[in-house]
Amino acid sequence: MNAGAAVAVLLVTAALGAFLVGRAAARVGRPTGLGIAIGTAVGALAPLAVMVPLDFCTFDAGVSATDLWFGIALMVGVALVAYQLAANAIDPEARLRRKRAGDDVSHGIFRGHPFMPWLLLAPTLVILVLFLYWPAIRTVRLSTQLVRLGAPRGVDRCVANFTELIGPTRPVWTLVVLLVSVALFFGATFAGRSSSPRVARWASLLSTAGVGAILVFLALLWTASYQKVFIVTMIISVGTVAGGLVISLLIASLAYQPVRGASVYRTLLVWPYAISPPIAGLLFFVMFDPNSGIIEHWLDRLLGIPLPNYRQNATLAQFVVILASIWKTLGYNLLFYIAGLQTVPKDQLEAATLDGAGSFARFWYVVIPALSPITFFLIVTNLTYAFFETFGTIDYLTAGGPAGATRVAMYEIYEVAIPGRDLGRGAAQSLILFAGVVALTVWQFRSTGRRVSYGR
Amino acid sequence: MRGPLRARRLLAGALAAGLLLAACGSDDDSSDDTSGADPAPTTAAAGGGDSGDGGDAGDSTSGEVVDVNVWIAFTDGRLDWTQAVAEEFNSLIDGYRVVVQGYPDYESLFDATLLAVDQGNPPSVVQYFEAATTDAQDAVDSSGDPIFTSVEAAIGGRSEILGFPVVLDDVVESARNYYTLDGEFKSMPWNTSSAIMFINRTLLDAAGVEGTPATWDELEEACDQFLASDAATNACVTWPNHSWFIEQTIAQQGATLVNNENGRSARATEVDLVSDAMIDYLEWWSGLEDAGVYVYTGTQRDWGGTYDLFAAQGVPFLIYSSSDTTLLTDEGVNGGFDVEAAFMPRNGDRTSDGGNIIGGATLWLVDGLPDGQRDAALAFLNFLNNPENAAEWHRVTGYIPITEASVALLEAEGWFDENPNSRVANEQLAAAPASPATAGALMGNFVNIRNVITEAIEDILVNDLDPATRMQTAQADAQRLLDEYNQLFG
Repeated sequence: MNAGAAVAVLLVTAALGAFLVGRAAARVGRPTGLGIAIGTAVGALAPLAVMVPLDFCTFDAGVSATDLWFGIALMVGVALVAYQLAANAIDPEARLRRKRAGDDVSHGIFRGHPFMPWLLLAPTLVILVLFLYWPAIRTVRLSTQLVRLGAPRGVDRCVANFTELIGPTRPVWTLVVLLVSVALFFGATFAGRSSSPRVARWASLLSTAGVGAILVFLALLWTASYQKVFIVTMIISVGTVAGGLVISLLIASLAYQPVRGASVYRTLLVWPYAISPPIAGLLFFVMFDPNSGIIEHWLDRLLGIPLPNYRQNATLAQFVVILASIWKTLGYNLLFYIAGLQTVPKDQLEAATLDGAGSFARFWYVVIPALSPITFFLIVTNLTYAFFETFGTIDYLTAGGPAGATRVAMYEIYEVAIPGRDLGRGAAQSLILFAGVVALTVWQFRSTGRRVSYGR
Repeated sequence: MRGPLRARRLLAGALAAGLLLAACGSDDDSSDDTSGADPAPTTAAAGGGDSGDGGDAGDSTSGEVVDVNVWIAFTDGRLDWTQAVAEEFNSLIDGYRVVVQGYPDYESLFDATLLAVDQGNPPSVVQYFEAATTDAQDAVDSSGDPIFTSVEAAIGGRSEILGFPVVLDDVVESARNYYTLDGEFKSMPWNTSSAIMFINRTLLDAAGVEGTPATWDELEEACDQFLASDAATNACVTWPNHSWFIEQTIAQQGATLVNNENGRSARATEVDLVSDAMIDYLEWWSGLEDAGVYVYTGTQRDWGGTYDLFAAQGVPFLIYSSSDTTLLTDEGVNGGFDVEAAFMPRNGDRTSDGGNIIGGATLWLVDGLPDGQRDAALAFLNFLNNPENAAEWHRVTGYIPITEASVALLEAEGWFDENPNSRVANEQLAAAPASPATAGALMGNFVNIRNVITEAIEDILVNDLDPATRMQTAQADAQRLLDEYNQLFG
């Protein structure tokens, strides 16, 4: 047991908390002493809250360097989140700002017995606790164990379920990319605070580059086998979201045209949304069948090109999965875009026409910015879809193949935990996926969300 | 008037809902198989039996009928066949009723079993497939007691149970060897097959290819000849990328997959995926694939795709499970071509005779049943494999006739003379010399290790990797799976 290192890390996080929260307190006009006290407390307690359940096992004698550093990174990471929360909590303005930004609902007052609201909420709370929070806590617990369904016992594995996925093949590059991404984020923060609008414009660019660098860093961080899962997930998610939004916006702007029978077209276009992902997978499985599929038939008949077998070609397999996923979610995106197009201010379009803007310029400079709240919303929902719901499509279309080329993170979790019966690793990987989705959503709310115009 | 009307409507609604629930409870055999994990339908069906309260009228004629639940991993005609046998059994026995429930695959059946055991409401008999034999033997409930008991011990030397003759002693040698662990016959064999080769003789005749290839080299030769002829199709041979075929070929070459005599003298601790037998086979296989002789359908464990390719006369050779002998022979009859069955080709450089192992599944008896229920379950297991039923099972599917008596019965009927293809699997199994290699490997986590093997092979076939290098990675993964299993169960 390397107790010295554990205490040292705790001291550092406490001191850092005192410094950061103290400074934040001074900035918002609260007493610095209070900030220092709170900062010290959260800086010490937050890492403890993680490490006590783990029994400080990452500091045990004989653990690998990866485990040790993973534990330290976990403590520091939790502490950083705690600082941010503490700084917000002591800031009297923060609440007002949130209210102004529109993402804080003002509370109504419930008259009557104070017990009453809890009673009314009880059914919801019971369901949440039973089916969401309890399983979530169990998942965290399982992620530190070696457990199998039906096994007489489980074995504690500390953080090995996580750290065995870490094993950079190019450690130096991994470190370089990490430093670059940190530098980019610092740059973005400073640029964002600058009063000069020209510098401030750089902020979003820098933070986007920072996110890109972080993704590269993560890709480099994993072992070769999990790296493949990560990259495949990125390709299929980005392909599905970007492709899906572009195609649905184009179709929506066509379907929006006031032509005869437009409502029929629109209804038909929304239909694929009613189909479940596995059925979409089956449909494309049949259509793209290299021997008897209709795509093969017409390609051969019309162009004389034989269709390569997507079940053996990695790129083509990914393409078909993306295509099926886009098609499946097209109706949903169209629904929002068609509704959104109806809210594009007519006066602005007319003004642009009078100024001599062509149809493309109007679309690019007026329609797309006016649709930004919808695009933002769709990016979030589509990313969630791409991460979690393409599973059914992939399972029926390629079953993760060929040779893992369409094995996204969700599919990997399923393979490990359900047929593989390895609940511990499955839980660990699902926590990684969860962290990824949370991180992406936070980044979107902070960057894209800021530039979204709600027309107010 | 409004009050009573409303009350009546509510009552009607509740009745309708109740009826709906009852309907869902009673016809759960095929509609939604995974719901078997949910105890609701089973308690609805079994409630009258084990609680013995005469309260729910109508359903059961007398209150004392005890349900014997048999869970199997079939949902197709094989489930219907088994249910028909169970009906016949039920008409012959008093006080017990065998209820056969189907699951879509072995994996979901295991999960349902483990959950049912966890909830204290296990079935009486569960079908486990051969690779999960170790898992079945090691499976324990939440208090750490084994879930299953040995069939041989439960029979306890009786020659008949509840009037049904015991047939366990009559089971054919290959199945007996596979399922005998620590000197005890653990479970009742049922669907048992071997990997054999199917030949489209019509296609070969058109190409002028003669003879039946018995070795890898002969198969390659025949294929070269076929592909060079005018009758050539796109490829010559296929088989599913299923670890079972790899295990067959390892056994044929007299090699073992795990240490401790293939896990039969003691628990297996070392897996060997880089043996010469394995690497030679994979090199031959990927060579065939590179040359366009073997066609890979692109999906692991693709029974359907390979079957269809042969049925559509896309390839003249198919290496497949003998379980579909009847179906494949009928494909030929319906499609106007002659289907011949033959031994699975072997490595001519390493082995002079066959040496195939079995595949399929057995029926495991749950431990801790009340004596009466246990005997009823045992009686059913023996009834299921009585000569007439075993012969009929063979005729409708192609699984081997599992007892010597059923072989004799089929022989006497002249079945084998009329259907020579059906004879091949039994002959091939009987030709195998008795050795640890041909008894078949036993190991924990075998199902996952199989997936490691097929994944590696897909990688080799699709990405043209070197078999020896890729199998080193697979070896490490498989060893880890085995180690972890032994850590939890050993």
